[in-house]
Amino acid sequence: MDLLDGISQGFAVALDPINILYVFLGVLIGTVIGVLPGLGPTATIALLLPLTYEIEPSSAVILLAGIYYGSMYGGTITSVLLRLPGEAASVVTTFDGYQMAKQGRAGPALGIAAIGSFAGGILSVIGLILLAPPLAKLAVSFGPPEYVALAGLGILLVTYLGTGSALKSLSMAALGLLLSTVGQDPIAGTTRFTFGQVALYDGLDFVAVAMGLFGVGEILYNLENTEKVRAIKGKIANIWPSGKDLRDSSGAIVRGSVLGFLIGVLPGGGGVVSSLASYALEKRRAKDPSRFGKGAIEGVAGPETANNASSTSAFVPLLTLGIPANVVMALIFGALLIQGITPGPRLIQEHPDVFWGVIASMFIGNLMLLALNIPLVGVFVQILRVRAGILAAFALLITMAGVFSINNDITDMWVVLGFGALGWLMKKTGFEPGPLVLAFVLGPILERAFRQSMLLSGGDLGIFVSRPLSGGIVAAMALIIVFSAVASRRRRRMLGRVTAPVTDTADGDDPAPDPAARAASRGSTSGES
Amino acid sequence: MAVDRSSAAPERGAAERGLERGLAGHRPAGRWPRGQLHRIGPLVVLGVGVSALVGAAGLALGELTAPGAGLWPFIVALLLTGTGAVLVVVDDPADYEPWTRGTARIAGGLVGLGVFVAAFGAVGFLLPSFLMLLLWLRVFGGERWRWAIGLALAGSVGMYLLFATALGVPFPADVLLIFSRG
Repeated sequence: MDLLDGISQGFAVALDPINILYVFLGVLIGTVIGVLPGLGPTATIALLLPLTYEIEPSSAVILLAGIYYGSMYGGTITSVLLRLPGEAASVVTTFDGYQMAKQGRAGPALGIAAIGSFAGGILSVIGLILLAPPLAKLAVSFGPPEYVALAGLGILLVTYLGTGSALKSLSMAALGLLLSTVGQDPIAGTTRFTFGQVALYDGLDFVAVAMGLFGVGEILYNLENTEKVRAIKGKIANIWPSGKDLRDSSGAIVRGSVLGFLIGVLPGGGGVVSSLASYALEKRRAKDPSRFGKGAIEGVAGPETANNASSTSAFVPLLTLGIPANVVMALIFGALLIQGITPGPRLIQEHPDVFWGVIASMFIGNLMLLALNIPLVGVFVQILRVRAGILAAFALLITMAGVFSINNDITDMWVVLGFGALGWLMKKTGFEPGPLVLAFVLGPILERAFRQSMLLSGGDLGIFVSRPLSGGIVAAMALIIVFSAVASRRRRRMLGRVTAPVTDTADGDDPAPDPAARAASRGSTSGES
Repeated sequence: MAVDRSSAAPERGAAERGLERGLAGHRPAGRWPRGQLHRIGPLVVLGVGVSALVGAAGLALGELTAPGAGLWPFIVALLLTGTGAVLVVVDDPADYEPWTRGTARIAGGLVGLGVFVAAFGAVGFLLPSFLMLLLWLRVFGGERWRWAIGLALAGSVGMYLLFATALGVPFPADVLLIFSRG
């Protein structure tokens, strides 16, 4: 009964004309930046954070969520047509999608991707509705030790599931935790690492840090690396997949939805991992795996479904536990904090408009995306004509003006610029900014919970393992560490045997014929289950 | 599955780089010229870690039963120092991208942005934003002068109207507007 009340309240929020406008804006911006190779969802959301000061909390999250799942749709378009993944999760789609386009089947590839994304999104929203309230109820009983364990798990998974070096990610997570201690100590009020600067007493501003690392840093990095986009040739015909296409991919869509949902719920899950896992699964199940990489429609349908499903279910841990599962969720977490709302188990009770409104908006947003994508693919592709240099120049200026507008303070512009330079350098040197920002957001929660736990237990670290829930999570963390150590060792041994003359990097980039499965196994602590 | 890199996507972030490395199976040599330079990155991390350790020890550490302000930062700094130290030894040089002319231009662009921020505080939004757009469009965008000037003019005025006029953001007093009013 509660559920129905909630849903109807959600639709009341989401169907408010203003919010319909925000959903529409969100999915439209999302699709556009998904198409543009120079700007991803993280950068866009980071750049738009100042905007959320101005609007209602529910509208803000509706807008940002729309950008996130909208970008998952948009990324498909360029992957299929040009083999240019507009965002990371679409890399997998290039394997078969581009082959389909070369065989003149671009239309069905895009069509099935849109249909799969829609199905994955909707099924995932239903899962979210069913799973979130009971989880939140359970989480109300969580004490500080559970929060320490959960936050630790989140950071650990983000460092392990990233595609970069786990050790470097861990080191950046530590840096993020350290940066989050700048300012006043949450319990005693002592100032830490402020170097006497009054501006630092409240700590580093999350928005400025995020805008710098992701917004400016990513723009600079991409500007250096983006190649010129080739002219777009040819028309896309027959966007609707045939009956046979639909029959061939229906299984992949259902499996992709479930897989994507499950991976998205795990901290550290999200687009890339889920689409890789789905691709690996489809390939393993196929009667004739050799079709994959040559234009198998399941290879497009499964991953596209999975990445959209996971981008929806990633909201589960955020909205119920207050733990952001990935970097985009960390940004939305920050946006909510700005509004004075702390996401957590009490969110559903205290701010039902936010919780149910966002969920209902996802239904509407996915419908809009389906309606936008199928007829307008040709229009979106034209966006690629915007040159990267123009895009970067304007995005930077908007960032600078935007960050000034938060506090009308020039200091914030310097912070953004500083973190922008840092983010760019980090990317150039293989240090991921993602774990840093995630840890920066989780840092205060983690520290407070850790210190409370210590007070509770009288300084006994055993409290983290002796309580059943936190003990279980700690055990899971240990399993992940052991599992990934064993897996990487086995991989290295296997490589030792197969290594051809072309070995290049020490972390095992072999010229194996099955990159997808390898890439998937690389980040598959959760993917294979 | 051969993926020819010439058309294989703009590189975006280490995440995709990892993927693409997996995809392509090979990667153009991206090593720094003189062997050991890549250790600078982890060394910087290590340096930050050690100074944070010192800083945290200077704040009262307290004990586990009664944690002081410095205890948590100390734990975190230990993690940072530890990972940094290991990375100095084991880090993979291939993670580091070579410095090219493009890199130098980006660095120059950053300096340009710094000048923009400083000038923004001194003479307001319009002139610095016009010059910054012009620099970026002409140097990084490679736009022709005519386009660069037109876009920069439209961009700076448009942005001023959006932020200062429509959204009411109090930009610093604008020297151009003061002049035009006499």
